[in-house]
Amino acid sequence: MRAVDIFIQQILNGLSIASVITLIAVGVTLIFGLTGIINFAHGEFLMIGGIVTWLAVSAGLSFPLAAVLAILAVGLMGYGLERGIFRFTLERPTNGFIVSLGLIVVLQHVVVLFWNPNQKSIPRPLTTVWEVGGVRIASVRVMVILITIAVVALSFRMITASRYGRALRASVEDRDTAALMGIPVRRYITGVFVLGSALAGLGGALLIALFPITPFTGGTMVMKGFAVALIGGLGNIYGAVAAGLILGIVEGFSAGYGFSQWTDAYSFVLMILVLLFRPHGLFGGTSGPRMAS
Amino acid sequence: MIAGAQPNGPANAALRSLLPVLAVLVLIALVPLLSPSNRFLSLAISAGINVIALYGLSVLFGQTGILSMGHAALVGVGAYTAAILSRDYGIGFWLALPAAALASAVFAMIVGIPSLRVGGHHFVIMTFAFGQLLAIVLTNGGDYTGAATGLDLTGPVTLFGADMSDLTRYYLMVVAFVAAAAVASWAIINSPYGRTLRAIRENERLAASLGINVGRHKIGAFVVSGVFAGISGVLLAHFLGHISPTQFASFPSIYLALMVMIGGARLISGPLAGGILVAFLPEVLNLDPVQSRIVYGACLIAVILLLPEGLIAGAVQAFRRLLARKPKQEREDPDTTCTTPSEARR
Repeated sequence: MRAVDIFIQQILNGLSIASVITLIAVGVTLIFGLTGIINFAHGEFLMIGGIVTWLAVSAGLSFPLAAVLAILAVGLMGYGLERGIFRFTLERPTNGFIVSLGLIVVLQHVVVLFWNPNQKSIPRPLTTVWEVGGVRIASVRVMVILITIAVVALSFRMITASRYGRALRASVEDRDTAALMGIPVRRYITGVFVLGSALAGLGGALLIALFPITPFTGGTMVMKGFAVALIGGLGNIYGAVAAGLILGIVEGFSAGYGFSQWTDAYSFVLMILVLLFRPHGLFGGTSGPRMAS
Repeated sequence: MIAGAQPNGPANAALRSLLPVLAVLVLIALVPLLSPSNRFLSLAISAGINVIALYGLSVLFGQTGILSMGHAALVGVGAYTAAILSRDYGIGFWLALPAAALASAVFAMIVGIPSLRVGGHHFVIMTFAFGQLLAIVLTNGGDYTGAATGLDLTGPVTLFGADMSDLTRYYLMVVAFVAAAAVASWAIINSPYGRTLRAIRENERLAASLGINVGRHKIGAFVVSGVFAGISGVLLAHFLGHISPTQFASFPSIYLALMVMIGGARLISGPLAGGILVAFLPEVLNLDPVQSRIVYGACLIAVILLLPEGLIAGAVQAFRRLLARKPKQEREDPDTTCTTPSEARR
């Protein structure tokens, strides 16, 4: 392969990883940025999305159907957890964070308990590989990228342009005033949480289409999600997409050019630097949800 | 209640919070008389080593109100310091103790200065990221850190010429260290310094307006927690004889935070109770590791939602409430528990 082909190849590989990271990051940026819930178990939501997909495909369902099931299941789980647990921590985000750590431990090990800790994979939903010049393009990666673009664009439009999005942003600006204007703030919080969870479910389905997953996949993925969300600016979907692209491509290159053992370090280093020098993110965001004094 | 405890000097009352812990530790030190199994002793030693680290975490979280998700990383710095000193310079246990305490304290400062600058919830995320970074660096450290397989420690731990590597002796030594950690953390809590930290916890702006250098004291508390962690790391490294990066990544940190919260971060008995409970509950309930982790996670969630001060404080409060049905009198406890609901919520 020529050097330029390798280069393009790495960009493509990086883009598909970036897609999954972006899906998590959009979920995190919406939930953390707009409701103030710091849910570190978001990576486990993703993992469970992957597990549901794996179960459904193993049971003979087609991949698209399995992905829809994953979205529904994780969205439902998000609803249950928000109503049952997180809504009691809205006033104390740190407590919500600690609770989510407990949730990580519970969700990981429940999955281990029922479906053992081994790697799980599904047959690739699309097997075609296109050869363009010297570059091999796996259609499954293209599928992941396209789905992510569509879903993120839809979420972006929902937040920025629709009535609901406007009401949501109003309730982030000033919860009390928004409530006085007749916006059902609590219901919006639940809604955002469920939307973010559903995105994680989709992310899990796409992830298992690309790579095998284990019950512990969520741990590293969620850190990347938080890194991207914070780098892009909390609550800023556009920023999350941009930061997700940067991180995905950096990771793709690093893996492609022989530094794969450092791949996981970039997100942490980038995040630490951004928090230090641009606490509102590179692209501007909410200053974090009503910081506890 | 007890006539002897009545002369209510503040020092006396403060001492009252320490005595039960020391009494329990004396009982624990007597356990080898019952000739317990090796398995029990190993479990107890691990629990004790955790408890030492937890006393550091309780100063940081319980007193200053800063939650660190990188505490296991500080333990790891101590453990690796001990292992590398022993390998490269043949330095044994006792000299490694101050060296590791120093190394962990310095690492805490390096992490703390930038992390505390960002403040708020972001601090927690920063400590988490630093913990993960340390594990990655240790894994990629090549021969110097032993990469993913980690390092071995050889050489016995001796005290006045006696070999302490025997399980029972090591157990007694760990109990002594736990007692020292408890006394140290008690001394910090009841010093003017402890009061300063609590002032920061309760209201940072007010504390700053009183002339307290909030930033410096927060970093100070973080460094203090590092000293405890470093000592715990040395004990851990010499006990296990082998250490590896995954032991000090962020998930062990989560378990440490969990233990201190289950026990109650503000009580002097909290770390002891949390460490013992988390170590022995699965034995008592006969759970396998997977089940016990599910139980821990669920406990943590329940504790945060229902008893935010931890199990022990919750039990004490319930007990006091029972007593308070009879003649009700306000008693001012200068120990670190807070009985007013507004404080408890924090």
